[in-house]
Amino acid sequence: MIKSLWQMLLTEHDQIWATTLVHIKISLIALLIAMVIAIPLAFILKGHKKAAEFTLQVAGIIQTIPSLAVLGLLLPFVGIGTVPAIIALVLYAIMPIFQNTYSGLTEIPENLEEAATAFGLTKWKKLQRLEIPLAMPMVFAGIRIALVMIIGTATLAALIGGGGLGTYIYVGINSNNNTEILMGAILSALLALVFSGILKFISKNNKRLKWGSAVIALCLLIWGGSSLYSHFTTSSTNVAEPKQTITIAGKMGSEPAILINMYKELIEKNDPNTKVVLKPNFGGTTFLFKALQTDKIDIYPEFTGTVLQTLVKTGKKTGNDPNQVYAEARSDLKSQFDMEYLKPMTYQNGYALATTQKFAKDNHLTKMSDLNRVNKKVHAAFDPDFTSLKDGYPGLKDVYKLDFASIKSTESSIRYHAIANNQANVVDGYTTDAEIKKYNLVMLDDDKKFFPPYQGAPLMRAKFAERNPQIVKALNKLAGKITTQEMQAMNYQVNVEHEKPAKVAHEYLVKHGLI
Amino acid sequence: MMIEYKNVSKKYQDHEILKDVSFTVKKGDIFVLVGPSGSGKTTLLKMFNRLIEPTKGKIFLNDKSIKEYNLRKLREKTGYVLQTASLFPNLTVGENITIVLEQEGVSRKERRQKQEQLLKSVDLDPKLYCDRLPNELSGGEQQRVGIVRSLAADPEVILMDEPFSALDPVVRKQLQDLLMNLHEQFNKTVMFVTHDMQEAIRLGNTIGVLHDGVLEQVGKPREILRHPATKFVQQFFTGNRINQKLDLETLLKSELGVDPRFYPKVDTLVRYHVDSVEDLIKDCSNHPDALFIAETEFGNFLIEPKRVWNFFLKWVAGHD
Repeated sequence: MIKSLWQMLLTEHDQIWATTLVHIKISLIALLIAMVIAIPLAFILKGHKKAAEFTLQVAGIIQTIPSLAVLGLLLPFVGIGTVPAIIALVLYAIMPIFQNTYSGLTEIPENLEEAATAFGLTKWKKLQRLEIPLAMPMVFAGIRIALVMIIGTATLAALIGGGGLGTYIYVGINSNNNTEILMGAILSALLALVFSGILKFISKNNKRLKWGSAVIALCLLIWGGSSLYSHFTTSSTNVAEPKQTITIAGKMGSEPAILINMYKELIEKNDPNTKVVLKPNFGGTTFLFKALQTDKIDIYPEFTGTVLQTLVKTGKKTGNDPNQVYAEARSDLKSQFDMEYLKPMTYQNGYALATTQKFAKDNHLTKMSDLNRVNKKVHAAFDPDFTSLKDGYPGLKDVYKLDFASIKSTESSIRYHAIANNQANVVDGYTTDAEIKKYNLVMLDDDKKFFPPYQGAPLMRAKFAERNPQIVKALNKLAGKITTQEMQAMNYQVNVEHEKPAKVAHEYLVKHGLI
Repeated sequence: MMIEYKNVSKKYQDHEILKDVSFTVKKGDIFVLVGPSGSGKTTLLKMFNRLIEPTKGKIFLNDKSIKEYNLRKLREKTGYVLQTASLFPNLTVGENITIVLEQEGVSRKERRQKQEQLLKSVDLDPKLYCDRLPNELSGGEQQRVGIVRSLAADPEVILMDEPFSALDPVVRKQLQDLLMNLHEQFNKTVMFVTHDMQEAIRLGNTIGVLHDGVLEQVGKPREILRHPATKFVQQFFTGNRINQKLDLETLLKSELGVDPRFYPKVDTLVRYHVDSVEDLIKDCSNHPDALFIAETEFGNFLIEPKRVWNFFLKWVAGHD
């Protein structure tokens, strides 16, 4: 495990560094905003006990709302990306900063306040010479608490396309890659420790506080200045070259990353005046769909099955014929959301049952209807959803007349380990999972077409498609390409062999003469 | 006339803690308000710099109601010494002393001069103390700083709210000496609150005895001791009266002797060797009008014969 972490550090240090920087940026911006709100508020409410307590209550209530829920609630108002992430983080950080500043101020001994008043010190003088310096240690403690919390919670930003170290965690969870999960978790914990350490060091005494605050202010100024500068310089180069820039995003994991790299290469080769910006691991289905609706992104690859099951409103049960499912998805997207759904690729990324080579050979298993012959020999390990949902095992059981000897419900990330360690001989999975290749498993054919088809295809707004026929043309080159085995192999290259998605995508396009 | 309280009352809800209090304080006096805790003396004091407003009645400074003064100016020009030194812990001793001057925009150099001059006046070496933080000082030292802080802005009036009650007896005595010495030097009008009648008699030119919000008697210490106006005043003073045997060491250290270090011209004074209380009385009758130094086996003391007489008069009165 340590070795694979080290390996990842060596091969991907550029990207890890960039992700860490994004994480720091989100955290610090949120922290600064929370400070700007909470600290003056505490000073204003210092003399108004009731109002201050009310504010504390409200902040406390906000604190108890799960962060995921806050993100969900904010979605319709501010959309996706870093903005809602920062808003959510600010909401969380206000409470500790406000509380500490407030108690720092109210715990200033009564006699000192009285002395200051009795000497005729003005409000400003009191603040400057008594209240701020005395409250400072408490304020700093509050900022530290807030910062540690923000850095931890900021991992959620990855869910809504905000980026940061959470990306590793979610990608890791989605692709059963413990190394990535650990990388994200360890780095965010380290960040929290380092920043909290710096703040602690600074707040030790007055001298450090002065110098430390000055250094921090200077760093922030330089950072802000340089990012502004680069912002202006890049935007000016954009003006110089009349290029169209489009944004393509993808869901979590290696497969969408490979696909959008193919899109990028196809589009840019076809029209050198178009620049494609990629946002891999941008978030879950609804986030991406919202992003597309609100113009934040232009294209993302979506599955036909997912469209029918979660995105469009349809009265019918999802069918089994891939062509019919695609046609239905396409017309519903067009009529309900005014979107264009291009032609799908060959491979299917749906549910599947997989078994070991040996078990398949010994019992002559090739398709799922073979399973009812060996019901009593099957010890299955399924993901909890698959175990309980109607489109999982309970439905499958009826159609194929299954009755396995034992079924273990395990987290999706460990069910492949179960079969590798001979604790199970049948598992559920997705047809293009890299693990199928990694553990040399046999996928059983869904010969009674129980699972709905999941074919990938580029999704965009209809207006965008109308305006950009050359992009549509470029993307349609992929229609009917990429088999399930090919996709599996490419996922294997990225997930297990740690190749860059861009490289894997490029090799495929070259090999099949698409560019 | 300097300060006048006219028919001042204070009510908190239904509870009347000051009832129609009137008195005047002459310029340059040390006016001591004495009374048991809860008698309203601190409330009365804090009305002068308007930390507390009276429910009824008026307070005048130099014949002008204090409400007609700009509040900030009034407070800047009124020294205030609290029960604890209440120095700002984040500021150095020097910065604490001149905090008001800092607000008034006095230059750094002038402030530094003032800090040094004031520290010297309370026997603290500016080189050692000016740049220290308050928590590095003993309680007595802190209160010395607290006292000179009240002098920094050259106020007309200084309010002192039980400034020595938190100190141990030896330090308290030192600071009382110091205060009297400062009073000689700067001649400010002082309003001083205490519950300790010995302190009241020792420091006060005029004493006001407060009980349950009523000013029972105002007068010179001797008058109050000789002719207590009410039963309460009589009980308060006899009850507190030192019934101990007259021991020279205790007397000099706690009541009559002044540390000569606080007096500028010790060298010019007559020195007597004193072995007993009788010696002291004899020397005082020989020198009724001039200060002298009493040399004893436990140290030298500056003696003011008038104060010794006062003391014995009160002592005799207390033993009637």
